[in-house]
Amino acid sequence: MVLSSLSPLFIFWATRGIKLIPNCYFLAFCAFMVLVPNGFLCLRIGTARKLQDRRDLVIGDAEDSRDHLLVYLFAMLLPLYTMELDTWRALLTVLEALGFVAFLFWHLNLHYMNVMFAAFGYRVFTVHPPTDENPLSGRTSQVLITHRVSLSPGQHLVAYRLSDTVYFEVNP
Amino acid sequence: MNFIFDWQNVTITEFGVGRDDADPPFSVLPVDPEVQTALRQMCAATWSAMQKLTTNPPHYEPSEKYASHEYVYLPFGDDLAERMRQLHNAANLPTDSSALEQASKIFCYFVRLTDGQGQRLTALRRAAQFKGILKSHLIRFVTDSLKLIEDKVFKLDVDFDLLVDSQNVHILRPDAFGFASQLQQAILSAVPKNVAAIRHDLNFVEFSGIQEYASRHTRAARYLASIRSQHETKNVDKAALKKLCKSNNVEIKEANGKIHVEEDSVMDFLEVLDRRRYQLELVKGSPERFKAASRSRLRN
Repeated sequence: MVLSSLSPLFIFWATRGIKLIPNCYFLAFCAFMVLVPNGFLCLRIGTARKLQDRRDLVIGDAEDSRDHLLVYLFAMLLPLYTMELDTWRALLTVLEALGFVAFLFWHLNLHYMNVMFAAFGYRVFTVHPPTDENPLSGRTSQVLITHRVSLSPGQHLVAYRLSDTVYFEVNP
Repeated sequence: MNFIFDWQNVTITEFGVGRDDADPPFSVLPVDPEVQTALRQMCAATWSAMQKLTTNPPHYEPSEKYASHEYVYLPFGDDLAERMRQLHNAANLPTDSSALEQASKIFCYFVRLTDGQGQRLTALRRAAQFKGILKSHLIRFVTDSLKLIEDKVFKLDVDFDLLVDSQNVHILRPDAFGFASQLQQAILSAVPKNVAAIRHDLNFVEFSGIQEYASRHTRAARYLASIRSQHETKNVDKAALKKLCKSNNVEIKEANGKIHVEEDSVMDFLEVLDRRRYQLELVKGSPERFKAASRSRLRN
């Protein structure tokens, strides 16, 4: 999911091309980096639906994460895209930066910032659990990908589990 | 007694385990549709087993000695059902896909079902057979020879120990309920609350010594919980109580209009209040005193 959220960068790079690597190899690499992670993500959604891996999510508080897309665009996509890749050293630097960004996305649970979801009309909410007195209730925030435009506190939703923290609602 | 759940319209099946070393102790993990079906069948089998035993179960009493299979119930709001209530009501239980890695730490497994109306059923089973199978050497046919199974294998049971709906905790195995609910600790913690409730009805009894004793002795704490849950301490006649204590050799003293119980006699006194001491005189002039380990009230 981390790599699939980076796929727009590879689309831009493929369009621009670099001088160091022949086009056929670079295009194949970019296509691989776009198709495989997104294909895997589609497979994961399909598997969750097939396995009926559903959860009852209770909304405590929900934040629309669309602001994060701007952060994603300006803090990650544009700086990496505009870097000059004329030398092997520059290319290596970009790949290191990309690895670091991927690690941060994974570590900070930001891998849900996928422009594919946005393109298909999904909104991404960060869902905080209800602050009840129950010591067994979950305390970690979850990410919900849904067509809904808003979520209200106390609302119960049935969502498919994509990972331990990312959920996907098919039919609101 | 009815079960408030639409068995035919289950929309969510969440499977999870309880672990000694985890915080929070209960987490869910993904299971495939076949396991989900098996878990739903276990729930149905549990309800069916309960219905075969009785359709009018008695109230669970912590001081009672129960058989291994006995259908009893607790109202959902009862203090003793707190742990099960927490599990039933817990929102967004954490998911831990690696929860089965340390199988020896698992003390129970459970399932939470949700129906089309959003009603929930929680079922729990103490993990005896579930992890017991890990210690066995299992074999299976591969081509024409038997081979050892080297994977970890977990075995589900035929039914659950208890079921929870929005109104009651339906208990099929009272011992397992006590274990999974950490009842011993809950009962000891509830001593002050139970004493306060009983003291309100029996204001002619000095309870400070009894409370102090019960906070150190589980059996006494169980008696207190049982006495309170029966709601039959109202209108107890002081003279009748003193007479019953005397006939059962329970040593009490009276000072400033209050009945005082010595530490040595606290258990005996609580047994009297819990209706466990009685006397028969079938042979004239030879009264016999008995203590009931288990009793049920006869109606007419």
